[in-house]
Amino acid sequence: MSDSLSALPPSGREWWRGKSPGLRLARHTLGLVALAVLLVPFADLAVHTRDPWGELGRMAAGLVWPAWGALESPFSALGLTVAVALWGTLAGVILGFPLALLFARSRLVRAGCAFVRAIHELFWALLFLQVFGLSALTALAALAIPYAGIFAKVYAEILEQTPRAPRDALPPGSGRLARFVYAELPLAWPQLAAYTRYRFECGLRASVLLGFVGLPTLGFHLETAFREGRYHEAGALLWLFYLLIASLPWWGHKRLIPLLLVGGAWLLGPWPSVDGALLWRFVSEDIWPAALLAGDWAGLVEWLARIPSLGPAIGNTLLLGLLGTVGALLVALALWPLASRHFGNHATRLAGHGALIFLRSTPELMLAFVFLLLLGPSLLPAWLALALHNGALIAFLAARHADAITPGMPGLPASGRLAYELLPRVYPGILALLYYRAEVILRETAILGMLGIATLGFYIEEGFDYLMFDVAFFLLLVTAMLNIAVDALSRRLRPREAPLDDPCAR
Amino acid sequence: MEGEQRRLLIRFDGEDIGHGAHVVLPGLTLALHEGERVALLGQSGAGKSTLLGELRRRLDRQAAWCPQHHGLVPQLAVYHNVFMGRLPEHSTLANLWNLVHPLRRPWHEVATLCDELGLAGLMRRPVGQLSGGQRQRVAIARALYQTRPLFLGDEPVASVDPHQALRLLSLIDARHTTSVVALHQRELALTHFDRVWGLRDGRLVIDAPTDSLTLTELDALYPDADATRHIADARDADGDVPSVNALPCPRGRP
Repeated sequence: MSDSLSALPPSGREWWRGKSPGLRLARHTLGLVALAVLLVPFADLAVHTRDPWGELGRMAAGLVWPAWGALESPFSALGLTVAVALWGTLAGVILGFPLALLFARSRLVRAGCAFVRAIHELFWALLFLQVFGLSALTALAALAIPYAGIFAKVYAEILEQTPRAPRDALPPGSGRLARFVYAELPLAWPQLAAYTRYRFECGLRASVLLGFVGLPTLGFHLETAFREGRYHEAGALLWLFYLLIASLPWWGHKRLIPLLLVGGAWLLGPWPSVDGALLWRFVSEDIWPAALLAGDWAGLVEWLARIPSLGPAIGNTLLLGLLGTVGALLVALALWPLASRHFGNHATRLAGHGALIFLRSTPELMLAFVFLLLLGPSLLPAWLALALHNGALIAFLAARHADAITPGMPGLPASGRLAYELLPRVYPGILALLYYRAEVILRETAILGMLGIATLGFYIEEGFDYLMFDVAFFLLLVTAMLNIAVDALSRRLRPREAPLDDPCAR
Repeated sequence: MEGEQRRLLIRFDGEDIGHGAHVVLPGLTLALHEGERVALLGQSGAGKSTLLGELRRRLDRQAAWCPQHHGLVPQLAVYHNVFMGRLPEHSTLANLWNLVHPLRRPWHEVATLCDELGLAGLMRRPVGQLSGGQRQRVAIARALYQTRPLFLGDEPVASVDPHQALRLLSLIDARHTTSVVALHQRELALTHFDRVWGLRDGRLVIDAPTDSLTLTELDALYPDADATRHIADARDADGDVPSVNALPCPRGRP
């Protein structure tokens, strides 16, 4: 009797000391949440508007009764949005594929790809705006350059995972290129194509967002309508965007892509005339601090000291990134059962699915923008937007994961099913996804500054606005470094027992 | 012995064979002569694939190679998979163009081969859509298409029925002067090959012409099967006679 008792843990009070994966994940999560709770007092979460609920009601009314007639030339905006996404993604593929082949071999390529990935599409757009103006070239480069880095990394990972057996079966002396096109590329093709399609969908959202820096895509009209309080028109535009995303499987069929490409090329013009000398001056002089180019180190220190509130901006960015990540976790945990076949009835599942699709297909910047109009400029709208969008995305994947599970014990009550059967199996995946998203969330955090929230993006846009290119570029570099650091950190913390083999989850 | 005056193809003299520092076959002593047809027997994990891999590495371009689990590309057509047997013989450009439009001469050669292997009419079908037996034959077709004097096969007839296995082995024999084939069918080893190499736990325990061997001797290569037989014998003693088909090697038992 006493023997069996001594086999139990020594004390009930120290239940968290243990090496089982479940306990490790629980410690992980609680640590993350505790850190967030500890730091919340430092965040500015005030509501600055007088009547947020009334404003929300008016927006909802706009979404329910969209004013289709008020739209001016919605089809040219739609067409441009699609054309930019399509050509931007294609350019990304063309640039990224050769890099993917070098990815495993060259440290330089890996570092370069990590760098271009770490800067958000909108920041690239702001940068190219200075050189190419409001033109298609700016839009395409803004998508193509970060996507090249992403494609290089993901393609390289996919190619690395192709089975080796067909390669080993080839007779000795088969050429490198022949080996690649016969025994590697066909095996990786389905996954490469799936990832490219997924990235195109991301490109579509990014293309909408390019409207926020002034390119006449759907986002431009959306922002104008929202800012001017024409919510019924904004509602119509939002519906147009949802229809575009929802109908993607039909109009984005692979046989139609060449047609869309040719058609899109007509919409992209006019092309800017690029002044080579101006471009060179921008790259070699404008974006570097004069003191650095002159080799004046004391001047450089002085220049650095004059950069407005660098510390608070970095602090806010990291804080919002952390809060967004924890918020996304809580939202995901609350929402995934709503869309899972294991819970509720047909109606609740339909509603749950609808809510998740709505939240995850609306870009964060769009959500943040709407919340900003409702709540005024603090970290709160940004936090809500990040938590809801990313939480919904993770919840969707978690529900899909749970739906593939058949509970071993039938007839458990819903709470038991959740706590004993499903959550223990789904949770490692949720946490792994969360760590993947942490880097994305931080990138988004920086970009939300463009809406007036005091993160790095705010000061980057200010730098460009006041033609202080050296400051803007320096802050861009800081943002990129932060992203790379957080990416490395989250890669370390990510639970190993739940490898994500679906690259589209990233 | 008749093998003595034949040309020696390869000889191992107490060599350690393995992958890098990991030795699978310690102190291997073995010789392969031209014209020999060798069956390689042994349990899974006994070192058959390691030995075949080493033979392939040393014989290089003399040997046609049919790997375990086929090593085919499921997304490519039967024709392209078979064509891969001769990738090094064409220029890179020709190889690339062949994916767009089949080269004429290889197409006819592969068609003849496919007819012989019962794959007629399947040349354009992706290998991923074929049955297990059909894939097996595609893998053999790719090895035959290499037209080398020597055939090395790692269980090339594992997933076909016994009749087809015989037919495929005689096709292999007709096109190669020498062959080393890993097998699990012990009867086939005795009826169809001149020589048996038997591996057990990384040691070559049998290296003898087939006419000097019996099935019982070959059974010694499979200790797990021994255990099953003991259990079966024990049951026998109890008077509970198991059906012959329940045994791992139903037809060959004396």
